Amino acid sequence: MDSRNTIKKRYYFITGILFLLGAILLVLPHRDNKKELSPEDLLLAIATQDRFYSPEDIAKLIISGDPSIQLVDVRSSEEFTAFSLPNAINIPLANLLDKDENGEYVWETFLNQDVKTNIIYSNGTVYANQAWMLTKRLNFKNNYVMEGGLNAFFENIMLAKKPLVSAPQKEIDLFNFRKAAAMYFGGGGSVSTVSSDSKPIEGTPVKTKKKEAKSGGGC
Amino acid sequence: MEKIQEPKKYMNPYLAGFLLGLTMIAAFYFSGRGLGASGAIKSTVTAVVSAVAPAHADKSEFYASYKGEGSSPMNSWLVYEMLGFIFGALISGIIAGRIKKDIVKPPKITSRTRLIMAGLGGVAAGIGATLGRGCTSGAGLTGMSNLSLAGFISFMAMFGGAFMFSFFLRKFWINKA
Amino acid sequence: MGPLIQQGILSPEWDMIFAFIIGISFGFILEQAGFSTARKIVGVFYGYDMTVLRVFLTAVVTASVGLLYFNYLGWIDISLIYINPTFIWSAIIGGVLVGLGMIVGGYCPGTSFAAAAIGKIDGMVFIGGLFIGVFFYGETYDFLFKNLHDAGNLGPVTLYQILGISSGTLEFFFLIFAIFMFWMTIVITKAFSNRQFKY
Repeated sequence: MDSRNTIKKRYYFITGILFLLGAILLVLPHRDNKKELSPEDLLLAIATQDRFYSPEDIAKLIISGDPSIQLVDVRSSEEFTAFSLPNAINIPLANLLDKDENGEYVWETFLNQDVKTNIIYSNGTVYANQAWMLTKRLNFKNNYVMEGGLNAFFENIMLAKKPLVSAPQKEIDLFNFRKAAAMYFGGGGSVSTVSSDSKPIEGTPVKTKKKEAKSGGGC
Repeated sequence: MEKIQEPKKYMNPYLAGFLLGLTMIAAFYFSGRGLGASGAIKSTVTAVVSAVAPAHADKSEFYASYKGEGSSPMNSWLVYEMLGFIFGALISGIIAGRIKKDIVKPPKITSRTRLIMAGLGGVAAGIGATLGRGCTSGAGLTGMSNLSLAGFISFMAMFGGAFMFSFFLRKFWINKA
Repeated sequence: MGPLIQQGILSPEWDMIFAFIIGISFGFILEQAGFSTARKIVGVFYGYDMTVLRVFLTAVVTASVGLLYFNYLGWIDISLIYINPTFIWSAIIGGVLVGLGMIVGGYCPGTSFAAAAIGKIDGMVFIGGLFIGVFFYGETYDFLFKNLHDAGNLGPVTLYQILGISSGTLEFFFLIFAIFMFWMTIVITKAFSNRQFKY
């Protein structure tokens, strides 16, 4: 029957089209339509200032062995080798946006995931903030900044100043915590302003470096 | 040979499927989600129960989850969609001249039996759709279109189950001529 | 780039308008295809009317292929669309119950609305049954269904994620499957047209 044949032909045609569409999909490369953050949204994120962890926060997390954080050191590799916080990974700021041969960001697996909380640090806050802005602009998730950087870390914790006896309890508690943290990180003691039982600071960086010799990134 | 010609022509199934697929793409494109039907029933039941016995509704985990945030559960995407659905089906029926108040039933079955079966079928489908998080439209159609695991499982369960049961009810639906 | 509401291109108020319009299209097409009568729906299980399968498969093929191509062309961001969460046991048991409802009642929740819209009383009764079923579920939830309801939650995972393949690969095999099923419907129709029975 003639109508049968035209129907049959139509079916073959459609089958062919479907097969072709499928074959194309089979070889089509994956396409990630990630949108970048608009300048207005970026400014809003900057202004809300909720990206900061204090050095004490970081000390607490390190001491308690919290597995959900990942420290990211954005200084140069030389500075990183000289000293870094325990279990930190090194992504020098200049290399943050390196791409591999597929055009994907090399560091995206670390900087854009929702398993660990990344806390970026540098010597001060400037570079860490810059790194944070880059990740924020790319809509990478879970990135934060250690406020004050390593400088604040040492100043606040390793060299914690003992408050005056008349200081409020909160300050005394904070100091006690800092002293304990300093001891954890290998610091000998604290430089006190008033108390008589002050001990000189021991070589804090050296001790800590030994502890983090095994660190190397890894997720 | 052809099957018995229907008095009013139905749309070519492939064309209908293609248009339905386009509709689903539109749903994804505009609202980021696919179609559904049973969800509207759940919303309505939740709204009615909340209105009649609000304390009871709040206590129940089930109703509370469907109450959603703030506004009435009737203010949901699916409810609006089903309202449009009824409207669209009505228009189609009017255009095709298929509006007729009657009961669709296979031969040799009384209307009463048919209505009882329809009711029972509805109860089963209602329970199934609530448990399975969707019906053939929501879980099956949409679920498979976004290639979700749930969609494929639901589709196979629904059609597989129906095939299984169809054997037992064949006397109901078809009769040897 | 879509989805327009999720990307913030359109405000959320539009969502309900779209729902209504899309619903109109959905209902119109379903009724036009003949899903407003139980005899046509049940036909696929008895071999005398394969419309359900044809419409269903064509729709899924169109939508899934369309979504993947749209995503590649940058017209939609496929990572933002809703993925049905997988509750393994609920899906299986719930699905079987819906299948039972389809055979016993002759409708599924969506098609029953189409039938009711054009005046079919059995469609309306089916909808009534739906309400009763959902209500029954809600009332007995705490002691009957609670554990089952949340069991086996794998989250919104896609089939290609589970299989560890790309979405394009899965789509390819799905298309092969769909092509096979389309030809099967033709074979079944031919086979059953030889058998005479009344439906």
